[in-house]
Amino acid sequence: MIFEIPQVIRYALLAWRFRDYRPKRVTFAGLREWIRQFEREDRSTILNILQSVSYLNEGDVSRILVEQNEALIRKLNAAGIATKKIIYVSIDTAGSSSAVMLNLLRDACHLERRGCYLLDSRDVLGISQVSAKIDGGAIVYVDDFSGSGGQFSRSRDFMSQHLVGTFAEFFLVACICEEAIYELAERQVEACTGSIHARAQRPLHEQGVGLAVGDKNRLREYCLGIDGRGGLGYGALATNVVLYRNCPNTAPVLLRGTKGQEELVGIFPRTDDLPVPAL
Amino acid sequence: MALKNLKEIDKVADVVPSGALKQLSIKDIKPSTNNPRLLFDPQPLKELRDNIRQHGVLVPITVYQIRGQTKYAILDGERRYRCCVDLAQEGKELSIPANVVEPPSKIAGLLYMFSIHNFREAWELMPTALSLGVVMNELGEEDTEKLSHLTGLSEPQIERCKKLLAIDEKYQKMSLEPDPNTRIPANFWIESGPVVDLAKKEVPKLYEKLGKTGVLDRLVEKYQAKKIRSVIHFRRIMEASEIVEAPEDKTKFAARLNEYITNTDLETRRAFDEFVVDNRRISNAINACEEFISRLERAKLAFALDRDELRSALKKVQVYINSLLSKLAGSDAPEGANSDRAKR
Repeated sequence: MIFEIPQVIRYALLAWRFRDYRPKRVTFAGLREWIRQFEREDRSTILNILQSVSYLNEGDVSRILVEQNEALIRKLNAAGIATKKIIYVSIDTAGSSSAVMLNLLRDACHLERRGCYLLDSRDVLGISQVSAKIDGGAIVYVDDFSGSGGQFSRSRDFMSQHLVGTFAEFFLVACICEEAIYELAERQVEACTGSIHARAQRPLHEQGVGLAVGDKNRLREYCLGIDGRGGLGYGALATNVVLYRNCPNTAPVLLRGTKGQEELVGIFPRTDDLPVPAL
Repeated sequence: MALKNLKEIDKVADVVPSGALKQLSIKDIKPSTNNPRLLFDPQPLKELRDNIRQHGVLVPITVYQIRGQTKYAILDGERRYRCCVDLAQEGKELSIPANVVEPPSKIAGLLYMFSIHNFREAWELMPTALSLGVVMNELGEEDTEKLSHLTGLSEPQIERCKKLLAIDEKYQKMSLEPDPNTRIPANFWIESGPVVDLAKKEVPKLYEKLGKTGVLDRLVEKYQAKKIRSVIHFRRIMEASEIVEAPEDKTKFAARLNEYITNTDLETRRAFDEFVVDNRRISNAINACEEFISRLERAKLAFALDRDELRSALKKVQVYINSLLSKLAGSDAPEGANSDRAKR
């Protein structure tokens, strides 16, 4: 019993750290249940992976977005772009938190009162009309996370065709993966972010460091065995970032669990991984 | 500021002023948002790349600095830039001479966009219409010929764009949907316009009840339910409306149009082919009769010597025609209508 005390403390600290995860509350009991699904010899490694997760709670996300935004506005003003010439755009794609982040930013930074425009990337007519009206300025796309950058690029490429005038483009995002940075660079969209999630930071990524080769290979095989296509997350990105609102779909199945949570229960299931609650 | 003549138009279209020359790396340059990759044939691009690999970029590209960013956007020289990007991937980093100019005005930027779109294989009409609308507003110019010269769009294209600019924003948005599966094609509004006008004339009570947008909404609903398989099918309705002449046919057509608008499930061709196909069959038969007579006349058979076989063939025709005439005799159609059809 006495040997279990450090373990208990570890569980308690982890549960406390992730306590505000929205789709499913992380509790001490839940965490213990989750780890017990795995073979005894893997548990310590898996707990290490959990410990290494970059977790962004509501306060973190809000702080990063506000700080980055204020810095960006100052930079744009210094370059001669008035605040009234800034269009904030939410990327409206399935499962995206972008609209919520834009609302958060709107309230925290008083964007509307400052005369900025707030639009959705699907509102092409609005984009066309507003950009024609203000005749050049800056476009700021807003989101909490970007993995491969594919969703962002598709929405942005479609939308940007309808811009009238010359606009500098920025992507205000709490956390962004290295892969998305390349996508942005191809379009010369500048990322304003709190952190760049490198491949090396992801224990289960092919180029990830932090795990012994044998452990890493065994757990990668385990993930792929559960879900051959998505075992390591979308695009095999195996990201190790979790945000309070939802776990990215680029996270490995080890953290997220399987769809419906039947085969494997996740510690950070995505909202759409959980069964639909009864009315 | 309406434009007076074509010289003035060319002045407006001037995009590139002169500027300072700089040496830029590909990292300093922002590619065009209009995805010009679609414009370039691979073979000439390869030749240009080979040339640049050997001699470097000899002719400066034209760029402007994007305010608020350190990057430069390309106004002219996208092909040279693309070649340099490809060469950099091969490990040959080149500096690109660039003429740095002031950012283009809104109109100049739009005209540049038009010139790009004119080379594109497929492009949507609604975004083009919106851009044309900006050009028209900025320049106060509505003349189709002048707008055509300015934008490179054909005059019929300009006319179509003007029609799109006249429709409600709610409908414009439907043609700007990012998802092509739910997007309503711009042609829908152009082709459905005459049908909505027809509804006003043929089913005035329904039109009064629903209003113009109500009728259009029903058509949109029908299109989304895939009961209008092609927007071209609206022409079938117009064709049918022109064909029906007899009062009872007109009544039947109006009733069908009423049902077509109110019943989402009624498919266009199923609703109106009856009017059109019947007429086509008749006009085909009339043509066949005329051709038959004309061919016989050309054969000059009146003094033919071997007549038996010919006579028997003609009798066969006679029997068939008599039987058909007896079936058609006493038709419900009024004489006037029949004679009118025969004239057509």
